[in-house]
Amino acid sequence: MDRPDPGMSLLDEVQAPPREAPVQRLDPRAVTLWRLTSAMWWAFWTLSMLIPWAVWDWPLWLTAPVAALGIAWTVLIPAAHYRHFTYQVGEVDVRVMHGWLTRHVSVVLHSRIQHVDTRQGPIERALGLAGVVIYTAGSVGAMVGIPGLAEREAEALRDRLAQLSGTEDAL
Amino acid sequence: MPSEAAAAERLDRDGRRLHPLTLGFAAVGIARQMIWPALAGGFGLGDGQLARMVPIVIVVLAVPALLGAAAKYALYRWRLDGDELLLRSGVVNRQNRVIPLARVQNVEVRQSLVQRLCAVAELRVETAGTGQQAEAVLSVLGVGEAQALRGELLARRRAHAPVAALAADAGAAEAVTDAGARPAAPPLAKLSTWDVLLAGATANEAGVIAAALAGLLQFADDLPGGVVKSVAERAIERMDGAVFLLGTVAVVLFLLLGWLISIAGAVVRYHGFTLAVDGGEMRKRYGLLTVHEASVPLQRVQAIRVEETFLRRWLGLASLMIETAGGSPGQAGGAEAFVPITRTGDVGRLVRGIFGEADVDAAEFTRVHPRAERRILRRYLVWFLVLWAPFWVARELHIQPGGALAPYVAVFLPLVWLMARWQYRNRGWALPPGYVMARSGVMNRITWIVPDRKLQTLHLRETPFQRRLGLSTLVVDTAAGGRQASVIDLAHSTARRLLEELAVRARGARSESVPSREEPAPDSSG
Repeated sequence: MDRPDPGMSLLDEVQAPPREAPVQRLDPRAVTLWRLTSAMWWAFWTLSMLIPWAVWDWPLWLTAPVAALGIAWTVLIPAAHYRHFTYQVGEVDVRVMHGWLTRHVSVVLHSRIQHVDTRQGPIERALGLAGVVIYTAGSVGAMVGIPGLAEREAEALRDRLAQLSGTEDAL
Repeated sequence: MPSEAAAAERLDRDGRRLHPLTLGFAAVGIARQMIWPALAGGFGLGDGQLARMVPIVIVVLAVPALLGAAAKYALYRWRLDGDELLLRSGVVNRQNRVIPLARVQNVEVRQSLVQRLCAVAELRVETAGTGQQAEAVLSVLGVGEAQALRGELLARRRAHAPVAALAADAGAAEAVTDAGARPAAPPLAKLSTWDVLLAGATANEAGVIAAALAGLLQFADDLPGGVVKSVAERAIERMDGAVFLLGTVAVVLFLLLGWLISIAGAVVRYHGFTLAVDGGEMRKRYGLLTVHEASVPLQRVQAIRVEETFLRRWLGLASLMIETAGGSPGQAGGAEAFVPITRTGDVGRLVRGIFGEADVDAAEFTRVHPRAERRILRRYLVWFLVLWAPFWVARELHIQPGGALAPYVAVFLPLVWLMARWQYRNRGWALPPGYVMARSGVMNRITWIVPDRKLQTLHLRETPFQRRLGLSTLVVDTAAGGRQASVIDLAHSTARRLLEELAVRARGARSESVPSREEPAPDSSG
């Protein structure tokens, strides 16, 4: 009954849908957004390493590796994250590809979209960025987010997705 | 949508009360909640003297219980109004609630043993989006009234469900006339006492092992060659003999007791289990002391899960779970036993009973890529080494008996290999027309059956380790609360094509013919 993986002879006959939709990137300012967030986060950790120094006289150089790791992370990771974050709004579905370490591909059919939000944190507002969050009725993967878009673009994407989900429903 | 005020006014005018016995049941319920504070208060105020404590405890319990119950009975009103269920409750905080019937997920009539003797029942209404708590609990109604209301709720819900207006007409008329004494459709599944005993006996594997051990101990004396004896005697020489024997007997007895309890538990819970499907609804009835009568609309069923533990698989048995929409994320809710135990050969028929055209028996499973086995084995070995290391540390530090055992732990290495092999062999997927099936598990093999039309989102995932081996994980998300079906360690190219195929199928399933597939045709007999 169980067959080993045959190299997909079963699905070879199925033709993949045409995917002429362009693969899009986030706004380059997303890197700045993530760098700021990361810098704040690591600054917090570095500063909290000062507590053992002040209270128990731990050597001060112990903060150095944390600070170094923080700087390396802040410089490298947001850029890598940006490089690997793309999305694609097709005729049938939205696809979000992301992850510099573990790769993720999420596919949301327009017909399954419940509602679409834009989100903006304080740093995003300062930079003129916004994120789009797509909600479905699913459980664990019910929220699919596209962060770090230009404000105008995020709103346009939200409206477009809302409209696409509507037309699909009318069928 | 009528305003709250209008609803309240209609309830005032001709809302219905609960059954008068509510007084008794509510009083007991409140008293039960108060028992600990009452005992503490009685102990404190009575200075520990029993004669003074008892009356205080009784007063503390009885006064709020009687007042609360009286208030509940006096103030509670319910009314079925068009396509809404109106409720008013609350003593201090007046609460008016309007439940649109189209949102009703599940209506259950529940009867405890005492309620059964008094011919009353509790009616619970659950809607999508609520957590564990039912949206409405009408406690208590007369049995006939509860069943009639349940029939009425379900009939009207069907009539107002946008999709199934046609299909519901016949059902609604029928339900209105004789909701309580509606002739039962031939049950899809019915468990005999023997089945229920079997379910309990195979639910707890440790207990089964204990029973086998207990049997073996009886034969130990008769075994030829005295192999067992010499092993046991040498072990006993090392340790304190009496302690060793007592310990073994205690463990065996404990496991045996657990096993008997699990059998008794299964009987209490599932006695007289019957399951019928008609009019787009699944109805279950089961229980020895508390009788549950629940209905789930078939269109809310997101997926079916077939669970086969090692032992049950060996005996040709399986249990079936259904995943429904509405459980809140994170909580295991949404999943409930569909059939607690069945023969493997019967699974296909039961699944067809819920999903209509699904042909599960003919589904051919394809295994994940053979490289997956290497990855699983590697992962298990890491765990094994992590667990083994302390034994060697103990040996270095001369800690007994850990140190002495260190080399012998290697005995379990073949088991590690075997488990990796099982896990690999259990992983697989199948695509029968209209459905996705995903299978996984080591000792407990779990097979998901997900209709294409219930697919919500699809996800591919590749950790760095998987990427090095060219493998990916495919996750199939439905509206079921909490758990997802997934196929781990597919070949990268397979996962990609499977994703595309499922995207195409999911789209086709939803937009092509919603009514006929969402709401399976009602029984043709009516």
